[in-house]
Amino acid sequence: MRVEYINPFVEAAFNVLREVLQSDVKRGELYLKSTSMPVMGVAAIVGLAGDVEGRVLFDMDKPTALKIASVMNQEDLKDFDDLAKATITELANMITAQAITKLHDLGFRFDLTPPAIFTGENMEVSNADVEALIVPMETGHGKIEINVAIRERG
Amino acid sequence: MTAQTEREVKSAAAEPAIRADKVDFKMVTFSLAGKEYGVDIMSVKEIAKAARFTYVPNASTFVRGVYNLRGEIISVIDLRIFFHLPAVRKEEEALESLIILKIDEHVFGVIVDAIDKVVGIVSGSIQPPHPIFGDINVKYIKGIVENGGKLYIILDVEKIFAPEKPEESRSGALEARKAEALPGSMEPSAITGGDVSASFVSETLAAFRGFHVTNVNAAWFQKRFAEWKSERKGVDLQLREESDADHFLEGFWSPGTGALWDDVHAAEFEKALPPIEVKSINVWNPGCGKGYETWAFACIMRKRYPDARIKIWANDSDLLAISMAPNMVFPESIPDYYKPFTAKGRNGLVFVQAIRDSIFFEFHDVMNTNTLPPLDLILCRDMLSFVAPIDQKRLLGDFIDKLKPNGILLCGANESPGEGWIAAATGAISAFRKEQ
Repeated sequence: MRVEYINPFVEAAFNVLREVLQSDVKRGELYLKSTSMPVMGVAAIVGLAGDVEGRVLFDMDKPTALKIASVMNQEDLKDFDDLAKATITELANMITAQAITKLHDLGFRFDLTPPAIFTGENMEVSNADVEALIVPMETGHGKIEINVAIRERG
Repeated sequence: MTAQTEREVKSAAAEPAIRADKVDFKMVTFSLAGKEYGVDIMSVKEIAKAARFTYVPNASTFVRGVYNLRGEIISVIDLRIFFHLPAVRKEEEALESLIILKIDEHVFGVIVDAIDKVVGIVSGSIQPPHPIFGDINVKYIKGIVENGGKLYIILDVEKIFAPEKPEESRSGALEARKAEALPGSMEPSAITGGDVSASFVSETLAAFRGFHVTNVNAAWFQKRFAEWKSERKGVDLQLREESDADHFLEGFWSPGTGALWDDVHAAEFEKALPPIEVKSINVWNPGCGKGYETWAFACIMRKRYPDARIKIWANDSDLLAISMAPNMVFPESIPDYYKPFTAKGRNGLVFVQAIRDSIFFEFHDVMNTNTLPPLDLILCRDMLSFVAPIDQKRLLGDFIDKLKPNGILLCGANESPGEGWIAAATGAISAFRKEQ
């Protein structure tokens, strides 16, 4: 993954999370991964197109997702209902869109697809032939892993 | 649909020299770039002529598209492009010769230059593949057979088209790699010659600095160890701490490591680069570190091949090192060689857009898969020695797969890729071609 792409995603994730959660966010060590990986329970995915092809996956466990959705809606959500799902989807959209805007300023043209959300137990994402950058984010409500896989179009 | 099935393939009976009762292997023969090839008839469903394949966006370059074969949608692969052979692109309407293959449940069409006939042979007369049949990677060849004065290369279509088995994925491969015995020549003990202190030194180099003594650097290690012995007068040979390891490795680094190469070295490099005819040149620079050498190399390439479109994929798995690489600013004191390629920026010299556009700096671990196109050059200096022996082997295999037939691997001054490679060096640069 091109070095230029990394910072916009890290910064966007950091800014957006801090803004919507109104609390401190810590970034973990970035690393690369190409094996199939378990999904913690809630995964929002946004596809990328344009100069590149790829996707951004936001992965967190259900309690974290519920807490984040509660904070964002300013009400105490009890189950992971449609409102909660829509909120997490929107969070994914906000972060990706801000990253894309930053990349646009640097001269890279990306488009993004509408986000989708997956929930369930024991899920696994496996596209082993894609190398992904993992950006772990530690929020006060739990951990979010942002998994970015982008490749140049041939 | 424009397919007209062509069934006038001459039968095996046309070969009177072989008695029918002995023939136990039939193959369909065809030509690719002037050479004769065969595939086992059992995997051939039919042959056809067809045109106007439906283009598939984002597919690999060797996929010509999909085709509707009497209602069945099949993917069409251009074998010439798959093997990096010259392919004449016909007009959109012109018919291509297609061999329809059936492997397990999958049906593929492959485009070849011309389909010849069916040849029956005795399977015992098939000889194992020999590396001199250059154009095609040996692992895809089942064997060679001579028939009617012609030499046929029998392709192993199952290997070519078999879907990647799950155990080949990273986690499975890891297990397989552990189980896989290293050939004796890679064994450090063969290099250290059973000398206990030498093997001790090689172990500590790996522990302190991740430097692995293998065939790649055996010659250097033996020489350096002899020096080391005389330096230390035969006593206290062991490396006790990291600084000892650094001291031992001092002479290993290629000239200009981690910096813009000086004028002399840059000129030497320019001289060592082979003439390349193609319009666009693809370069891979794994382990580029902070990127200084990549910038130097990009300038040298630009000067050596002024008319070509140059693309350099530079990657490193050290995020801190590579993150500064794309936006580097240089002081006025850089070697003169690079001056014509720079412009004055706010804080110092920066490289001009043409050079910047030719490099992609990527955060990438070479042990993971990548999607690089076929390459003309690989610049991999002093990097192979710092990956584990098993990964070294894998990476060198990857290099062989990705290099074009005439591609060049540029190694560190004290490294050589070993088996399967022949030296193509001119002057002080260690360059290698893959054995054909």
